[in-house]
This record gives sequence, structure tokens and C-alpha cells, in this order.
Amino acid sequence: MAVTDRATPVRGMVLADAWRSFRTAIRLGWAIEANWSDPFLFAVYTMAKPLSAAMILVVMYDIITQGQSGPFLQFLIVGAALWNVVYGVLAGLVQSILEDRERYRMMKYVVVTPSSLFPFLLGRSLARVGVSLVAVTLTLAVGVVFLGVELSVDLPLLLAASVLGLTAVMALGIFMAGWCLQLRQEAWSYPEAIAGALYLVSGAIFPVSVLPSLAQPIAWAMPTTWWLEASRRGLVGHGSPGDIGTLSDGTVLGLLVLTTALTVPIALAAFAWFMRRARQAGLLDMVTGS
Amino acid sequence: MTDGARPPRTPREAANWSRDRVIRANLRAVVGRAYPRIIGLTREPSWIFFEILLPFLAVSAFVFVYRALGAPEEFVGFVVVGGAMTAFWLNVVWMMAAQFYWEKDQGNLELYFTAPMHLMSVLAGMAIGGLVMTSSRALAVIVIGSVLYGVSYRIEDPLLLVGVFLLTMVPLYGLGMLFASLFLLWGREAFHLAQLLQEPIYFLGGVNFPIRHLGLVAGLVVATLPLAVGLDAMRQLIFPGEASEGVLPVGTEMLILAAMGVAFLLAARLALGYLETLARREGRLTLRWQ
Repeated sequence: MAVTDRATPVRGMVLADAWRSFRTAIRLGWAIEANWSDPFLFAVYTMAKPLSAAMILVVMYDIITQGQSGPFLQFLIVGAALWNVVYGVLAGLVQSILEDRERYRMMKYVVVTPSSLFPFLLGRSLARVGVSLVAVTLTLAVGVVFLGVELSVDLPLLLAASVLGLTAVMALGIFMAGWCLQLRQEAWSYPEAIAGALYLVSGAIFPVSVLPSLAQPIAWAMPTTWWLEASRRGLVGHGSPGDIGTLSDGTVLGLLVLTTALTVPIALAAFAWFMRRARQAGLLDMVTGS
Repeated sequence: MTDGARPPRTPREAANWSRDRVIRANLRAVVGRAYPRIIGLTREPSWIFFEILLPFLAVSAFVFVYRALGAPEEFVGFVVVGGAMTAFWLNVVWMMAAQFYWEKDQGNLELYFTAPMHLMSVLAGMAIGGLVMTSSRALAVIVIGSVLYGVSYRIEDPLLLVGVFLLTMVPLYGLGMLFASLFLLWGREAFHLAQLLQEPIYFLGGVNFPIRHLGLVAGLVVATLPLAVGLDAMRQLIFPGEASEGVLPVGTEMLILAAMGVAFLLAARLALGYLETLARREGRLTLRWQ
């Protein structure tokens, strides 16, 4: 039977209850993500995947430039490192909601509790986001120690870019989680597909100016493009090669604020609509077998 | 069964079938397990979308990196061919190696162990179905990539190329069969293991660059990883020239592939036998949630 909207609001629910849900969900997410695995395998997995992704780019760069170091290598390393966050957030949020619906079949019980699904979902996905932050640090550390990446940190710019960028990426993840609840098939593949598409149009590992002219306006409309650009400037002191690199720091930050300010309300409104539709159509306890 | 006789150890012994019937039952198992994968080509259009899209997105990103670096055009061809072979590797990891784990979760594995056919027949069916299914995806990646990015091929001996491709598939899917048993033994880490076999293998397998650029590591890779050896040999045949110079001559790499094929298939059979013994002795290996 479909779980419909509550007839009356739940009385007595306060912020403390949401906080308790959030904390419990963090513990649960971490248990599922890490504690059930062999610690050695988990550590290897956490390190090997992002480092290999970065090393592919480093070897490609090395072959073509005959081992010369330069700003493009820094551009590659920082982009490859930060992209772990986008994939971690998108995959974390979507896989949490799908695992709870399809694999552990707890979604319907969470939804009928007086607490909101929202803090639970955020908490449940944080383990994967945490792992992706470890991957960022590790990749940057390898870049600095072994590959000659020179950090020139502009802390205020980096902090502003990180807060805004993470907010925008979380909003995209929340939108994706709601969207994937509506799907009957292949919902698990969507985070990878969307992250892959964003990877292409965000200037993560090549300048946006290399893209075909049709794709460039999409790149300029994405908060991820401006987050990466602002973060690069905050971390290594210079931006991307190409058009975007010629913009001032203020313009880049302004565009990040603008795109984030547009993304967040749209994503939250879409998530609310997706959840309403999921309740009405009985999608919260649907098992697709995919 | 007469008094004092040893009880049958497997359903195959218990069935006590004639040789003809054993062969027919096993062939039917192969066809039965290959059928859903082949018929899925027409019944699950979403599979086609994702299995072409995901390798294609990765291919495009690496093509743009090479273009941004001003690399010779052969490198774009290396990436497109590597992207097509990635489709086979993804199929081996997710639909061979992790498959028994998913089958356990869905409750099918118990049925496999109680049916009077050999589990190698199930794995062979999975491999044949997966190979057919993935060939269409790989071909699509090659055609789309070649048209979009203007790759030109210079194949002087197409029959030899087909031979190398088929020879690569034997150890590749043999490795998948071996991993199917090992993943099941290693338990809950199937997801992490499958993830671990992606980027690190793309890096070591030289999916986006000729593996000779890995230096000393290339020798180790050639001795262990069929994807790397097959790709290295195929690149030498598709793009003859200095840029695609292989680690070893094509003939030697074919011998290595043949030896790997025999070794991985034998190892898969041994691992499966051990798994079957363990499953019957401990009684929990095939149970859901264990």
C-alpha cells in the first residue's frame, strides 16, 4: 500500500530529534560502508581508486610532454582530486536511498517514523562523502610530494569555494536521490552516468574551451565548473588554461554564488516533489530487482 | 542406494545420469544462463543506454585531455579502442565476478548448488551471454568514438586481429569465472572489490596509453593481466607505428594470452570445486545475507 501524506503534522518534533536522526544515520552509514568490510581491503580501496584515477592522467601527461612539469599538470591533479567529492556525494546520496529501499528494505519504516527522511538521508550518505574527502587529501598529497604540485593557498577563496561548492554538489545529489526513487530500472547507474556527464562539462581534467562549442554554454551554467575553478585558484594560485582562466577571482566566485543560488532551491523543491510522488505512487517500498 | 554405500557428494552424483544426459543438461545450463543476457539486448533498452554511455563518457574525457595536450591523433585512437575494451572488463567485473554474490542475495545460488549440472556450465553461460551482449556495446563505442573523433585505423591483418581479440576474451572471462568464486568467498566486500578492479586496472592495463610507458611495471602487468596483454597486441595491429610499440611482439603476447586462458580456466574450476565443498560443509555460504 502506498504511504500517503500525513493527515496532521507530528507534534513535538524539534531540531534535537532531527539531529538525533542525523547522528544515528551517520553511524549506520559508516557501519555499512566500512565496518562490515575487512579494514585492510577498505583502506586499500579508499586509497587505490582515486590514486589510480589520478595516475592515469599523470602518465598521459608525461607521455605527451616528455616528463616536463607545468601548470597543466597542477590543473589535472587538482581537478582529479576534487572530482572525488562530486562522485562521492552523488553516489553516496543515491546509493543510500536505493540500498535502503531495495536491499535492506528499510525505507518505508524510516518514512513512517515521526522524523523526517531528510536528515536521515544526509547522515546515511556522509560516510561515502567522508571517504571521498580522504581521497581528495591523498591525491593532493601525492601530487605535492611526488609530482611537483606547488600549493599556493588563498584560504578565504578556498573556504568560500568549498562551502559554496559542497552546498551545490549536495543539492545535486539530493535532486538525484529523489529522481532515482522514481526509476524502475538501472537507477544504480545514474550517479555514475550523471557524474560522468558532469565530469565532461565541468572542466575537471581539461579546459572547458576544448569542448565543442555547443557544450560550452552547459559548462558555464554548471556550479561544478565554478567550484573547480575557484578551488584551483584557492589551492594552487592560478585557474584553468583557456577562457575561464582569464576571468577575475571575484567573477568566478560571483558565478559560483549565482549558480549555487539557482541550484539549491530547484533541487530542494524537486526533491520534495519527488518524495510526494513516491508516497502517492507507492514507490517507497518498491523493489525493482535491478 | 544400497546399505553401506557412500552417500552421493553432489547432486550430479545423486542424479546418476548417462554421459549423454549429463552433456545435454550442461549444454542446456549454458544456453539457459546465456539466454537472459542475450535476450536482454532487446528487452532492456536502458542497459544499452548505460553500457554504451558510461564507457563513451570516459572515452570522451580522455580524448579531450589528449586534445588539450596537443597529442598525436593515434592517441585518440588508443583511447577509443581502450574504451571499447573497458566495456568487456566492466562486464567481467560486474556481471561475472560479482554475479554469484548478487545471485546469493537474490536466492538463486542455493538453486544452482542443488541442480545436477556443473557450476562451470553456469559460468560458461554467463560468459558467452556477457560476451555477446558486451560486443554490441563495444562496437557501438568504437563506431561512435571513431565517427565523432575522426579516428583512422590501419589494420593490415584483420584475421590476426580477430584472433587476438578472441584469444584475449578467453583469459579475460576465465579470470571473471575465477573471481566469481573468490568474491563469494570474500563475502560482503564484493562491492568494494568490484570498485577496486576498475581504476587501478585501467591504470595498470594501459587502457588510455600504451603500457610500455609504465616502465618496469609493464613486465609484471604483461605476466598477469589479460586486458593489458590483449590491448597491447591489438594496438600494435590496429595502429602500426612507433607510438603503439608494444612491450613484446604480437606473437609472444598471443602465447601469453593462450597460457593465461588455460591457467585461469583451471584455477576457476579448482576455486569452484572448493566453493562447492565449502558450501555443502558449512551450509551458509549460499545463504542470503551471510
